[in-house]
Amino acid sequence: MDLIPSLLQQMCVYLVFAYLLSKTPIFMPLLNISSRWEHKLSCYLLFSIFCIMGSYFGLQYQDAIANTRAIGAVMGGLFGGPIVGLAVGMTGGIHRYFMGGFTDLACAISTSIEGLIGGFFHVYLLRKNKINDLFKPHVIFLITLIAELTQMAILLAVAKPYDQSLALVSQIALPMITANTIGAVLFMSIIEDRKSIFEKYSTAFSQRALRIADRSVGILNQGLDTESAKTIANILYEETNVGAIAITDRHNILAFVGIGERHHKANVPISNYTQQAINENRIVDLNSTTIYRCPIDEKCRLGSALILPLRNGNNEVVGTIKLYELHRKLLSNINISMAKGIAQLLSSQILLGHYQQQQTLLTQAELKLLHAQVNPHFLFNALTTISAVTRREPDKARALIQHLSQFFRSNLKQNIESVTLREELSHVNAYLTIEQARLTDRLTVNIDIDPDLMDIRLPSFTLQPLIENAIKHGISTMLGAGKLEIYSKKTAKGTLIFVTDNAGTYVTTKEDSKGLGLKIVDKRLINHFNNSSSLQISSIANKLTQISFLLPISTITINNKEH
Amino acid sequence: MLNAIVIDDEQYAREELIELLHETKQIRVIQQAENAIEGLQLINKLKPDIIFLDIQMPQITGIKMLSMLNPDNMPKVVFSTAYDQYALQAFEENAFDYLLKPIDPARLQKTVDRLVKSTTPQNYTAIEHKQLAQVPCTGHNRILIIATEDIEFAYSGLSGVYINTGQQETTSQLTLKVLEEKTPLIRCHRQYLVNLKAIKEIQLLDNSLAEIVTTSGKTLPVSRRYLKLLKQSFGIV
Repeated sequence: MDLIPSLLQQMCVYLVFAYLLSKTPIFMPLLNISSRWEHKLSCYLLFSIFCIMGSYFGLQYQDAIANTRAIGAVMGGLFGGPIVGLAVGMTGGIHRYFMGGFTDLACAISTSIEGLIGGFFHVYLLRKNKINDLFKPHVIFLITLIAELTQMAILLAVAKPYDQSLALVSQIALPMITANTIGAVLFMSIIEDRKSIFEKYSTAFSQRALRIADRSVGILNQGLDTESAKTIANILYEETNVGAIAITDRHNILAFVGIGERHHKANVPISNYTQQAINENRIVDLNSTTIYRCPIDEKCRLGSALILPLRNGNNEVVGTIKLYELHRKLLSNINISMAKGIAQLLSSQILLGHYQQQQTLLTQAELKLLHAQVNPHFLFNALTTISAVTRREPDKARALIQHLSQFFRSNLKQNIESVTLREELSHVNAYLTIEQARLTDRLTVNIDIDPDLMDIRLPSFTLQPLIENAIKHGISTMLGAGKLEIYSKKTAKGTLIFVTDNAGTYVTTKEDSKGLGLKIVDKRLINHFNNSSSLQISSIANKLTQISFLLPISTITINNKEH
Repeated sequence: MLNAIVIDDEQYAREELIELLHETKQIRVIQQAENAIEGLQLINKLKPDIIFLDIQMPQITGIKMLSMLNPDNMPKVVFSTAYDQYALQAFEENAFDYLLKPIDPARLQKTVDRLVKSTTPQNYTAIEHKQLAQVPCTGHNRILIIATEDIEFAYSGLSGVYINTGQQETTSQLTLKVLEEKTPLIRCHRQYLVNLKAIKEIQLLDNSLAEIVTTSGKTLPVSRRYLKLLKQSFGIV
């Protein structure tokens, strides 16, 4: 019975070896059950080593070897499946066979069978979708127990003479079953530990990265300035726990947070190191090979730094992020790789912000264009009319001047994106009053809009360009009497707003024949509502031009709920 | 006192100008027109000394109307516009008189002084359209704008110039001379112009005379003088 402690002792040496190996990348494939052939191969190699080691660490006993070979074979099968299990078992078995003794053949066969048993359990658990049970101690315990009992049975059946093998089995059965089952369970717990540490680590890492991403969303949309830089620097400092964080643009430090804040001031020119990162558009590493020396204060406690360029869409460097660490500490690899990710994240945010800014600029420019288009003809014509009216009807002239003022006042509200239909109609009304005075009996206007629609918001300058178009290119070119109608009509999809004139001068020959003004209106309607609101234009030559757009039913109902 | 016609499509603009001209006591406005077609009629009928002509008018602009006037009895022209950079540039380059609306009375006075003094007729060919794409015509209570390629022939009759498209016949304020110069119509007789594309047949008669049969089956006389030219246009000598 003194075999039990001795064998357990041997097993301990064996496990220490396993523990050391678990610190190496060789163990990585074991952390997840994988069916890739290169993982299977490394599984085979690893457990074959353990299998052979089991034989060597065994104890000579009555011309046989009491051993822990079974652990390698069973585990190989469990992790790699029946084929790997059999291969491991046979490798260990053949090796054992050449060590000789009367049980050589029996041991070779039994080790191979043990590998197969492990493999069958692998398949069984996989089919039951319970592959994670592999890592549970009691499962391993049971499987190894079954394997060991099988081995003993094979020993009895194969090894000759039977008397001798019976005597052997009665002596080694208990020690071997105990040592192998406990060994397998402990082996598995080493893998299990490694696995859980790894998972905890990567979870923490991804959580941190996600938190930074989440917190920094949108901050750089307005571009890189002192304020946005300070916010970002604070987030990074809190989340990464490095010594200090700085953010610069191409010329100055915009923000500095952390150790050395007192002498690393914001709004001072960047250091040579940073200049280098900007000029060469690459990461400058003052962490491992070269060390960082503070250019401002030689007593500065910061001793390593990593400078990462921030790029805009054209791959031009617009600034940098700098990570600092104390003299005695190096920046951890985790923080370095996270910093690279953050630099990329912030770069794409700068790009997005840039894009959005351009979009706004574009719409503003387009709006200004719309306003500018109105001005000269309309203004001088209006003044001519007013000048003539003044002589005969001073009161009417005064009213016209009021309308003209109102028109230009609302025209000057250039940055307002949307207005209520009521406001738009009052703008239109000011315009039409003046045009009616100018064209006298050549223009009749009829407006019939459902009063319930008045509070709906629509893009500013939607109706006015349509009406201006109808007059400028339609009615004012007619020799006869012009008629302009503005009305609403309910449909299943919402309410249509129509602008109709009886000139019929609109030419619909080409797809792009919408004038610039109408194109802008079309685009803004689609942006504000959706595709169903695009301008619909139909025309019958010399009879009628009809332009309409849809106020979708969703906007109407939402609006009515609010009021 | 000089006689003038004011042509402008805006009622208030006309009233204002007439009032201001009245105040000068040097020019008498004998009529006003609210578009170019009416303007043409009045000019041909009343033969004014001066026209005050707005540029931006429906269908036929002031410049186009100018191109339709017979150069032989061309009145003096004072252009008016509220805002038209291109026209203004042309007026400046050719030293034509123009008024900016709203009209400044002092500026108008200068113009009037100049008109009263000057006797030399102006030549407006620099800004006139060399070719007319359309010809304004008047039918029964309506105005027609006929594309020149649709005209089969034109002729001068008792009450003016007639334009025939094959389907219909209307009268025009344009003279045959203007039509001959500014449209692809060619002369086949002292009183007739024809569209070469509308000729179906030329029947040669005795005495070097001929007759044209048009696509719509109308017969037009060809005089001796123009037969040769007509043949040349077809490459038959």
